[in-house]
Amino acid sequence: MSEQAARNRHRWMTLLLVIATLVVALGAVVAVVAMAGPLNQIDFLRFPLGFYLLAQGLLIGIVALAFWSTRVQERIDRKLSESEEL
Amino acid sequence: MRAASRPRQANPHLGAYYGIITSVFVSLVICLAMLEQLGWQETWLGRTMMLAPLVLYLVVALGTRTLKVEDFFASGRRVPPVYNGAVLAAVLVGGTGFFAYTGTLFFLGFDALAIGLAWTTGLLVSGLLFVPYLRKAGAYTLPAFLGQRFRSRTLRATASLLQLPSAALLLAAEIKIAALIGVMFLPVSYQLAVAAVAAMITCVTIIGGMRSLTWTASAQFIVSAVGFAVPLIIVSVLYTNLPAPQLTYGEMFEPLKRSEIVAGISPSAPGQLATALPSAQPKPSTKPFLQAFGAISQTDFLTLFLCLTLGTAALPSLLVRSGVTSSVADQRRSVAWGAFFVALFAISAPALAAFVKLLMFQDIAQSQASALPPSLKDLSAYRLVFMQDANADGTIEASELFIARDGIALALPMAARLPFVCTVLMAAAGMAVALAAAASHLFTLAGSLADDVIRLVAPRSGVLPRLVVVWVAIGASALSTGVFLALADIDVVQASISAFALAAATFFPVMLLAVWWGRCTWIGAILALGLGFATMAAKMAYGDAMVAGQFHLTMVVAALIGATLGLIGGLIASLLGPKPSPAVQAYFEELRDPASDALYDRAQRHAAAASQ
Repeated sequence: MSEQAARNRHRWMTLLLVIATLVVALGAVVAVVAMAGPLNQIDFLRFPLGFYLLAQGLLIGIVALAFWSTRVQERIDRKLSESEEL
Repeated sequence: MRAASRPRQANPHLGAYYGIITSVFVSLVICLAMLEQLGWQETWLGRTMMLAPLVLYLVVALGTRTLKVEDFFASGRRVPPVYNGAVLAAVLVGGTGFFAYTGTLFFLGFDALAIGLAWTTGLLVSGLLFVPYLRKAGAYTLPAFLGQRFRSRTLRATASLLQLPSAALLLAAEIKIAALIGVMFLPVSYQLAVAAVAAMITCVTIIGGMRSLTWTASAQFIVSAVGFAVPLIIVSVLYTNLPAPQLTYGEMFEPLKRSEIVAGISPSAPGQLATALPSAQPKPSTKPFLQAFGAISQTDFLTLFLCLTLGTAALPSLLVRSGVTSSVADQRRSVAWGAFFVALFAISAPALAAFVKLLMFQDIAQSQASALPPSLKDLSAYRLVFMQDANADGTIEASELFIARDGIALALPMAARLPFVCTVLMAAAGMAVALAAAASHLFTLAGSLADDVIRLVAPRSGVLPRLVVVWVAIGASALSTGVFLALADIDVVQASISAFALAAATFFPVMLLAVWWGRCTWIGAILALGLGFATMAAKMAYGDAMVAGQFHLTMVVAALIGATLGLIGGLIASLLGPKPSPAVQAYFEELRDPASDALYDRAQRHAAAASQ
């Protein structure tokens, strides 16, 4: 793969990762807020589920997403540097 | 040919240093706890717990003093990711989050969760969209990045001016919170406390800039984490038998619901966001903790969340820390750690609010107005609550119990009848995080402005003149904020939300275009900045007139409108104008390369090599 092709691939993979991460995070928040009423009817660890998700569940998910996207991005960056060294 | 860069390694003894700092602080707490049991007066316990950590912070600041420009503005670019994450969390949460967010959770319950969620999401967005590219650019300030990205001094000067309002509002809010805590436990007036806090953060910032700020804020983060966690865990063990309040406070919901019903709190209908957020004045709690959207509507919840998310992502006081780690990958990791620490606080804060609410309302539900429980008398003595049997029925109902929003964190150990040392420990924790945030906002406000101005006026100035201008600006900014606070009264929640809204409207669109769109020109960037800021300025100038039926234009909505207008304006102006120059396009291309050193550092080395 030429250097320019590797750079283009790196750019598209990065953009895809950013969009996917943001869609998952923001989509989950909007979905939980929209469904908070019905979700609150369900008990989870003695919390109403809607409350639990907004107070803890989504936060844990977003932190996991932050570390996951960091790892994936590092892998994408490593591929670029490997192809540049070749 | 690439100029050689020197390796950047973190101090290998950092863990030992912060282990010692933690041990010193924990030892102080244990000593004070023993002295309390031996009969030491509360006054002296409070004074010692307030002042001793301040000495510790000053020692750390003195130990990290510097006269090197790279250390002063970027902490030598060798801060480990976990430490930078801790400082990011301390700056984002601040004293306002520590005291006012917990208070807002107490009053709004479910509806206030938007704030903590937005802080965490904002850091995620920032880490994905902006931070790695700012680290690659290596500019010392946000306006400097924009100036270098578009090769425009006008843009840099404009950005410098427009970041002042948000940084100034946050600085004023943090100094005020720290001063209010100081007044409660030290024999000083409010004005003197404001002056002392301003002097303290000025010293820390002048001594070593970003370097001393980073290492004192790391110590302050440890103090705040210990001080917040210890009383909360003790209360959790006392009431749920488990030292994990985040997992166990769900057990308290049934008794909490019963206490709220007995105290006369019934489900409420959502009002306008502009008036739903509690003010600093003591007021009764009127909304059940668990009721969803009882104070603000679902739409307002989402707009508040979005505004704070964008504001957090583009907050200059956080983005200014984007150049302090040793690589792009480390900087990205540090933001993930920041999100982790903020989430930890945001997960714990509702537990604190729920425990305080249960303890307070359980107490008043079980007692007569003439024989109030000692915990409420303690809270009343510190002016955290006051009661008034308005209907003279011999009991205190929720509507007759006036509670101070910013005192909820301090109310936890008092309401649970813990030893007084736990109360002052919580106060020292809040003071620590407020000082960390205030120093960072001061550095952003003054340090950045001064450096931006001197680089515009005298780009080749030497190290000392450059630092002297920054020192003067830091002193002048702290002094003017102190004078402002002594004369004017601000609500810390309103000030903070306005600051985040300003950052969202002004900086989010321009950063998005600058980092992600190569076709963006400097005219488009200026328009993106200007339109967002103009929308916020119009809201502030004519805000009360902007009501149409049920629709009330709040700062939060104005920020989202401003950000959208800025984005559209920037896009159109860039497309209609000439294409960016090849040099600007080349800089944009280099930003995408995650490897090699910061562009600013490389340019500096080339300039130094050329002058030899």
